[in-house]
Amino acid sequence: MAKEKKAKRKPGACIPWEEKLKELPEISGDEELVKRVWEDIDALGYMYIWQCLLSF
Amino acid sequence: MAQDMEQLYGERLKRYVTAMRNEKPDMIPIRPFVAEFTAKYAGYTCQEVTHDFQKAFAAARKCAADFDWDAVVGNMVYVWTGLTQAIGTKYYAVPGIDIPPDTGFQYLEPPEEKAFMKADEYDQLIEDPTGFLFNVWLPRISADVSAMDEPTSMRNNLSFLKGGMAMLNYFTAFGTQNELLRKESGTVSAISGILKAPFDIIADKLRGYLGLITDVMERPEKVLAACEALMPHLTHVALSGADPDKNVPIGLWMHRGCVPFFSQKHFEKFYWPTLKPIVEEIWAHGHQVLFYAEGDWNAHLNAFAELPDGSIVYHVDQADIFEAHKAIGEKFCISGGIPNFLLSYGTEEEVRECCKKVIDGVAGDGGYIMDASAIVQNDGKVENIKAMTDFTREYGVY
Repeated sequence: MAKEKKAKRKPGACIPWEEKLKELPEISGDEELVKRVWEDIDALGYMYIWQCLLSF
Repeated sequence: MAQDMEQLYGERLKRYVTAMRNEKPDMIPIRPFVAEFTAKYAGYTCQEVTHDFQKAFAAARKCAADFDWDAVVGNMVYVWTGLTQAIGTKYYAVPGIDIPPDTGFQYLEPPEEKAFMKADEYDQLIEDPTGFLFNVWLPRISADVSAMDEPTSMRNNLSFLKGGMAMLNYFTAFGTQNELLRKESGTVSAISGILKAPFDIIADKLRGYLGLITDVMERPEKVLAACEALMPHLTHVALSGADPDKNVPIGLWMHRGCVPFFSQKHFEKFYWPTLKPIVEEIWAHGHQVLFYAEGDWNAHLNAFAELPDGSIVYHVDQADIFEAHKAIGEKFCISGGIPNFLLSYGTEEEVRECCKKVIDGVAGDGGYIMDASAIVQNDGKVENIKAMTDFTREYGVY
């Protein structure tokens, strides 16, 4: 698993939160909530492409 | 009635899990991987069960209700071609469209020069596997998705919209299907989650078998680095679909990484070093992996024996099941070993004799699951599947 560090995108992510955060204005509310929801939905995009490769 | 089914489900789950842990249950569990056979039995064409997954689900449930099986897959005709058509996937021959309606769907491997990944693209895959799949691979395997240098289109946008919603719909429906199997017939859903070896997936979907043969000779370090780059992703996908109760295994579909498709040296250099750590990682999370060893993998039994005791269930297709049992039966549960040609062309008596021979040779101490050698398609005879089932129930009591 040593090669994982070199991956541009971590497993489970298409557009990492750190990248998305740079596009947003300063978050006045609950940043953790925004992060969690972003990552949960982003994971669906990840599932889509990897399931296309593996299952279909 | 519902309570009886729940009791039956509990007994079957215990039987199935006990065998998979390489222990001795009350009787030999039966877990046939029946695909297009279910269509034949339920009165559907291959087109119907491949293109309309609700009919595939109904066919699987009918078989589960009529045969005394402990566990089945909710839909072993797994590739729903309604979904692949929505995505625009090029590499399937669809029953009723590309091939006759009563022929099972086919995977079409492109010629070497039209492989979905080019020989000089390894670095892109290694650098960013997910980005490569979205930006390079998907536009090539889909008739609708635009390449990065092409203008977008309605067909491009619809491919993602329809494909994404259809996939979610399909996966969600499996939850309902598994509940219905439990309530209607007390049948266990046999597997949960998917894994393929990095080396296999490069051959299957990226470089093609012929392309990978060239690559292991001309750019072996790139191949190894690509396998390593895929490892964390394949581990993540496998674990994300695993059974939260840790009862049933993740399915590993083993294709062309073995002798004679590749040499022993290539297996040792590429296939095994990049699969073994994935299986160990999955086992560290408490999940077994079902090695569905399609073809003959007996040349590699010593490698598989390196895995922790009980970490896998080993399914035997065309290999010598007695040799496999001798080599790894102390460590792992074995399944399969009833040849498909016998189930298609043999007599009921021949099927019973074969089952007896396998049970006598492999199942004595537990740790065996009755199944055909390979996935049963619509050439399997109903009376032979019934003979396999009934004989195992009569003879396979401990």
